[in-house]
Amino acid sequence: MEKKSFLKRLTQSKMFVLLLLYIAVAAFYTIISKGQYLYWVNIRNILSSMVITAYLTCGAVFLMISGNIDLSTAQVSTISGILMAQFLMKGFPWPLAILAVLAGAALVGFINAVLINEVKFQPFVATMAVSYMVQGGMLLLSHGAAVEVSNKYIVWLGTYRIAGQFPVNILFTFAIFTIYGVVLAKTKFGKKIYMVGGNPVAAKLSGINPKKVWYILFINNAVLGSVAGMLQAARLRSGSATGIAGGAFAGMTGAILGGVSFGGGSGGMGGAFVGLVLLNGFNSGLTLIGINPYWQTMASGALLLIALTFDYFNTKRLMRR
Amino acid sequence: MPEYIEFNGIGKAYPGVQALKDISFRAGAGKVLALLGENGAGKSTLLKILSGDIQPDEGTIIIDGEEQKFAAPYHAISRGISVIYQDRQLVPGLNVIENIYSGDLPSTRLGLLRKDEMRRTTREIIDAFGLPIDPEELVGGLSVAYQQMVEIMKAYRRDSQIIAFDEPTAPLTDAEISILFRLIRKLRDDGKIVIYVSHRLAEIFQITDEIVVLKDGRLVKTMATPETDEAELIKAMVGRDIGDTYSRLSRNDKLGDVLLEVNNLVTDAVHDVSFTLRKGEIAGFAGLVGAGRTEVVRALFGADHILSGEIKINGKIHKAGSEKASIEQGIALCPEDRKEQGLIMWRSITDNICLPVLDKLKKLLFLDRKKSETLAEKAVERYSIKTPTLDKIVSELSGGNQQKVILGRWTSDLIDTKILILDEPTKGIDVGTKAEVYQMVCDFAKQGIGVIFISSELTEVINVADTIIVMHNGHITGTVKREDATEENVLALAMLD
Repeated sequence: MEKKSFLKRLTQSKMFVLLLLYIAVAAFYTIISKGQYLYWVNIRNILSSMVITAYLTCGAVFLMISGNIDLSTAQVSTISGILMAQFLMKGFPWPLAILAVLAGAALVGFINAVLINEVKFQPFVATMAVSYMVQGGMLLLSHGAAVEVSNKYIVWLGTYRIAGQFPVNILFTFAIFTIYGVVLAKTKFGKKIYMVGGNPVAAKLSGINPKKVWYILFINNAVLGSVAGMLQAARLRSGSATGIAGGAFAGMTGAILGGVSFGGGSGGMGGAFVGLVLLNGFNSGLTLIGINPYWQTMASGALLLIALTFDYFNTKRLMRR
Repeated sequence: MPEYIEFNGIGKAYPGVQALKDISFRAGAGKVLALLGENGAGKSTLLKILSGDIQPDEGTIIIDGEEQKFAAPYHAISRGISVIYQDRQLVPGLNVIENIYSGDLPSTRLGLLRKDEMRRTTREIIDAFGLPIDPEELVGGLSVAYQQMVEIMKAYRRDSQIIAFDEPTAPLTDAEISILFRLIRKLRDDGKIVIYVSHRLAEIFQITDEIVVLKDGRLVKTMATPETDEAELIKAMVGRDIGDTYSRLSRNDKLGDVLLEVNNLVTDAVHDVSFTLRKGEIAGFAGLVGAGRTEVVRALFGADHILSGEIKINGKIHKAGSEKASIEQGIALCPEDRKEQGLIMWRSITDNICLPVLDKLKKLLFLDRKKSETLAEKAVERYSIKTPTLDKIVSELSGGNQQKVILGRWTSDLIDTKILILDEPTKGIDVGTKAEVYQMVCDFAKQGIGVIFISSELTEVINVADTIIVMHNGHITGTVKREDATEENVLALAMLD
C-alpha cells in the first residue's frame, strides 16, 4: 500500500495554504517597511498579540471539530479577570483565587453542556443565552469599574520578560498550542473528537459516547477562556469589563482560519496556529506601515474571507483527484 | 383534459445498475393504475422520471400524442403532473392555505397576497373533499394522514390531471386509509389519471383498475385488476431466475451451540419478539420496509430502549444498556444507512476501521499509528477494498467498498465479534459486489460468528440465510428454513394483512 510522503501530506494540509499566504504577507511588509517588519521588536509584538487569543482558539478548535460552538467564552473570560481581581482584593491567597475562578468557569461550561446534551438546545442558542447571563453577572459584580491587580506572582505571570526581552507568556502560548496539538493529533481522545464531530450517530454505534466528549470539551473551553481572562487581567494589571479584544469571535476566528469547519470533523491545531500568526502578523504590518488602526478590523474580516476562499479552492483541487 | 399518458421504452442506468429498461405502458383518464413490484423493482425511479426529478437515458413520455421532456420538477408540474411522495413536500410552519398555494401564491400588483381569494378557494377544495380540516391550521400540527390530504388538495388546486402516489398508505391507519381511498376515487371520478405505487396487494384490489408489475427494472406484465388474483400477482412480482450466484456460495454446514437467545422482546416499535441464533448460523430477517426488523437489532445492540424481555448471550443474561456494553459482549452492528449511521464520511479508511478499537491502539498516552495502519491494511487486503492509499477519505469510495470498510471495522484482529448484525448490507451496491458480500457473510458463519442478515430483497435473504425470520408490523409472523423458503411463502408472511 502506497503511503503519502511527509512532503505530500504537508502540501495538502490546510496549514500549508495559510503558510504560503503568510510568507507572501510578510514579504510584502518587509519590503514596504524596509526590513523593519523582521525586527525582533515587531516579531515580539506579533507574538504578544496572540497570547490571549491562543487559549480561546484552542478551546474553540476542539469544540468546533466536535461539531459544537460556544458563544459564551468571551464573557466567561471577562468575568474571570474581574472575579480574580476582586478575590485578590478581598485578600484571598492567589492560588485559591485562581482555583475559585476556574471552578466557576467550569460550572458555566458544564451548564452549557447540560443544555446541549440533555435539553437538546441548539449550541448557538443555548450558549448565546448563557453568554448574556454571564455578561449580566459581570456587570453586576464590577459596576463597570476596573479592579486593580497588584499581586506580584500574578503580575509576574502576565508581564515578566526573560532577560528583559522575551515575555514569559509567549512561552505559555507555545506550550498550550503544542499540548493541545499533540492531544488532538496523537491521542485516542483527539481521535474521538474528530469522530464525534464527523458523525455522532456512527460514533455512538461504534461504542463512543458523544455526550461525554461534549461535556469534557465545553468545560475545557470555559476553563481555557477563564485562563485567558485572568492572564489578560494580569497583563493589564487590572480586571475590567472591557475584556478580551476581538470579543466573542476571537477564538473562533483562529479556529476557522485553521480550517475548522462549522460542520465539525475537520481542521487542526497547526493550521489554527499559523492562522493566528497570519491574522496578527497582517495587522501588525498595517500598524507598522502607518495605516489607520480602524482599517485593521475591516482588514481582518477581508483576510478571513481570503483565507477561506483559498481553502475552498485547495479543497476542491484535492477532491478532484 | 388529457386522455392518456404513455411511457414509451423508458430506460435508466446508474453505475453498475440498470434501474429501468424498456418500460412501456399507458395510463388512461378516469382510471387508477397500480405500479407493483418488490423493493428495488424500479417503481421509485419511474416516479422520479415522471416528476421531472431525473431524466431517462432512453424512451419518451407522451401525453395525448405529444412527446414531453421534463428538465426539472416545475416543468412536469406545469404540464399537470403531481407526484405525492412518502416524505411530504410541505412546510410545517405554514398553514393549510399557504401550503396548498405554495409554488404559485397569487398576489396583487403591489405584491400583496390575495388572502381572501386563497382562503375562499381552499375552503371550497376542503369542502369538495369533505374533510374536517381548518384552513388556518398549521400543517405541522396535522396528523400524517391529513398532511397527505393537504398534498392531494395541493395537486387538486394546481388542477393537475395526472396524480401519482408513492406508497401513500405506509404511514396510515385503516380508518385513514379509507378516507384516502375516498379521495382517490373522487379524483378518478373527476376524470384524472391516477398512478398508484404500492406493494400492498389487498389495497391494489380495492382501489385500482389496472396493474403494471415491475421486476428488476423491467415490465413483467400489464393486467386488468378484476381479471387477476393475489397468487398471480405474487408470481409475477417474484418469478425470476435465481442465477447461480447462490448455488456457488461456499456455505457453513455445521451450526454450533445456541449463541443468542431473545425472549419476548418489547420496545416502542417491536412486540413480543423471540428468536435464537446459533454459532455459525445466518439468520435472515425478511419483511417490508417498516416491519420492525431494524428496531429489533437496534434494541439488541443497546441503541433503543427495551421495555421488557430478555436477551441471553451464551446462556448468560445480557443487559443491552448501551452500544458500548453490547460491543464488549461481542455484538457488532453494521447499520442500514452507511452514510448517516455507519461511516465518518470525511475521515480516512484507517480512522473508520479503528473507530471501535481505539482503546486497544494506545501506546502509553498516544495512539499507535503504525498499529492502526497495519489494522487498516489487513482489512483492505482481506476484503480487497479498492483504494490507492489508507488515507483516502471514505466518501470517495464506491458504495461496495464503503460497505467493506464497515465490515473491516467489525472483523479486525483486535475485536472479538461473536454476533454480527448486517442491516441491508447490499443496499445500493452493484451486482458483482453483492455476490462478494454474500460469500463474506458465509465466511463469517464458517468462523463461528452468528450473523443476523436483514434484507428487503427477498431473493437474497431466502438464499443466503439458513433461517428466515419474517416480520410484519413489529411482530414475527413466521420462521422458515432455507430448504422450505420460497419467495411466495415468505412474501405472504411479510404482507400478512
